[in-house]
Amino acid sequence: MTRIVILIAQGAAVLGGLVLTLLIALTTLSIIGRSLNDLLHGDLVQSMLGAGAAWLLALGIGEINGTYELLEAGVAFAIFAAFPICQIYGAHATVDVFTTGLSPRTLRGLRAFWEVILSVTIIFITWRLFEGMQRFIGNGQTTLFLQFPVWWSYAASFAAATVASFTAAYCAALRVAEALTGRDLLPVENSGAGS
Amino acid sequence: MSTLLDMLPFADMSRLTLGFWSFAVLLGLIFARAPIGLAMLLCGFGGWYFAMNGNATPLLAKLKSETYTTFSSYSLSIIPMFLLMGQFATLSGMSSALFRAAESFLGHRRGGVAMASVGACAGFGAICGSSLATAATMGRVALPELKRYGYSGGFSTATLAAGGTLGILIPPSVILVIYAIITEQNIAKLFLAAFIPGLLAAAGYMLTISLYVRLYPDAAGTRPAVPMAERWRALGETWPVLGIFGLVVGGIYAGWFTPTEGSAIGAAGTGLVALFTGNLGWARFRAALLGTAKTTAMIFFIVLGASFYNGFLALSGVPQFLADFVLSQGLSPWTVLILILCFYLIFGCVMDSLSMILLTVPIFFPVISAMDFGMSAEHVAIWFGILVLIVVEVGLITPPVGLNLFIINAMDPKTPISETYKAVLFFVGSDIARVALLVAFPAITLFLLPT
Repeated sequence: MTRIVILIAQGAAVLGGLVLTLLIALTTLSIIGRSLNDLLHGDLVQSMLGAGAAWLLALGIGEINGTYELLEAGVAFAIFAAFPICQIYGAHATVDVFTTGLSPRTLRGLRAFWEVILSVTIIFITWRLFEGMQRFIGNGQTTLFLQFPVWWSYAASFAAATVASFTAAYCAALRVAEALTGRDLLPVENSGAGS
Repeated sequence: MSTLLDMLPFADMSRLTLGFWSFAVLLGLIFARAPIGLAMLLCGFGGWYFAMNGNATPLLAKLKSETYTTFSSYSLSIIPMFLLMGQFATLSGMSSALFRAAESFLGHRRGGVAMASVGACAGFGAICGSSLATAATMGRVALPELKRYGYSGGFSTATLAAGGTLGILIPPSVILVIYAIITEQNIAKLFLAAFIPGLLAAAGYMLTISLYVRLYPDAAGTRPAVPMAERWRALGETWPVLGIFGLVVGGIYAGWFTPTEGSAIGAAGTGLVALFTGNLGWARFRAALLGTAKTTAMIFFIVLGASFYNGFLALSGVPQFLADFVLSQGLSPWTVLILILCFYLIFGCVMDSLSMILLTVPIFFPVISAMDFGMSAEHVAIWFGILVLIVVEVGLITPPVGLNLFIINAMDPKTPISETYKAVLFFVGSDIARVALLVAFPAITLFLLPT
């Protein structure tokens, strides 16, 4: 079971990462298009290529429409999809100096306690995200350029957040089991934020 | 939101008290080992709930969109992109190229291989916005070389731990992005301002090394010099680093693209370098995505918590109150600035840099903004940002929880951590001297900025 949950968490993270990679490619292509478009409109190129420049512009070389919207929706999905793996490895930033003196047993208990609170919070956030999505389903609002319904973006994030909630709950249960049995059941890793 | 709040029968004073209490509770939770993002989120929830006189509806309504809005923020999307760029950079093979180039120029000097490690870290910092990644990557490349030329264990590990902080001091830098967003400053200008202090940091570390090997001549071996032609050839091989750095930072600054677009270009560029050097197979790419995901979730959970908590804190009026209070004390702005920087140095010993910035900048920034340093408001904001960036990064190399120290020390099991601690104090000294210099002469930070 633990192996399956870890696989799901890794799958979510890789999927989110692939979306991020696609957004990076999309943004880069869009900028290249925009730069070429500026170049083709420039006097120098106009005089040198003339009709050729017009022909290239007519092909639609330019900024990719709606990159901004896709980026926002995609990044939100990628971030939500990153949470499960963070839960599995217990990679959230903590301050450990004041609790280093505690016995391993107490420390396990403390860890389990916060993990339970954390999972409840993540489930709570996911539930509110669902309510937020309902609002956009109700009002039928669409994005400015691509005209896709705003709730689609929410739905993608909600799907990822649901996986995060499930993983968080499972990890919390395992941390409690770790505290009770005194055995390590999940991989442990700690690191500082953003440094 | 403000109209809703104005209708509430709340005296400002009680919200203020609530604000102060929330801070005490927050610190209590954090010290009791609650995940920092969770602690901020809980205090934010509590604060909004009580500030609304025990009415949960505004909080529940806020939560419907706030998480999504925070995570889908266009400016914050720089962060996962820079993180992925850092992961690609560690795979790009550029770390060895940079080290070879720096070593061919500096290696024959006394302490030269250590200086070369610092130089290579500085170069790597130009395509990687994370100190931990810089320390880890350069550690893998440089540590065996330092060993080979007879550098002592503690000196080698301390050099690399300190060199790693250049990852974040030299732009691009994840911490500066966060600072820019909290204080609503121009990211491009902050990157530009960080450039000279970053180079100064590298120069300071090299000076520290030459001092150290004079005090402890046994700590370093020597090696023969490399012919000039070979040096330039080695330097030539680092061109992708220079190209990517120039394009990203230059392009953002020149206004060719937004900082977010710049981060995408940087990630694409480093990714392509990694691909063309044959270092980006599926297994490594997958590992890079997993690494990015872990850090992304950790950072954004703290950002989410901070967004809730800081929203409440601003509502409580605590930052404004503190700013007024400090002003009314008639302290000199310089005293206040030095006190704040000392606070960061001490607090940095126990807390990671990002959490510290998200937690304290909303409180300290209004205080600093209210003071007269004889500069424009924008210049003060940028200068303060660079100073804060440096002092929080010192926390990465100060015991007991300097993460860079642990990362490097773990790569060298034969060196006891106490040896690393001893040697790293020299680098901490260099950091403090640099901060003093930058405080005394704001122009060092600001002179690259347009007037």
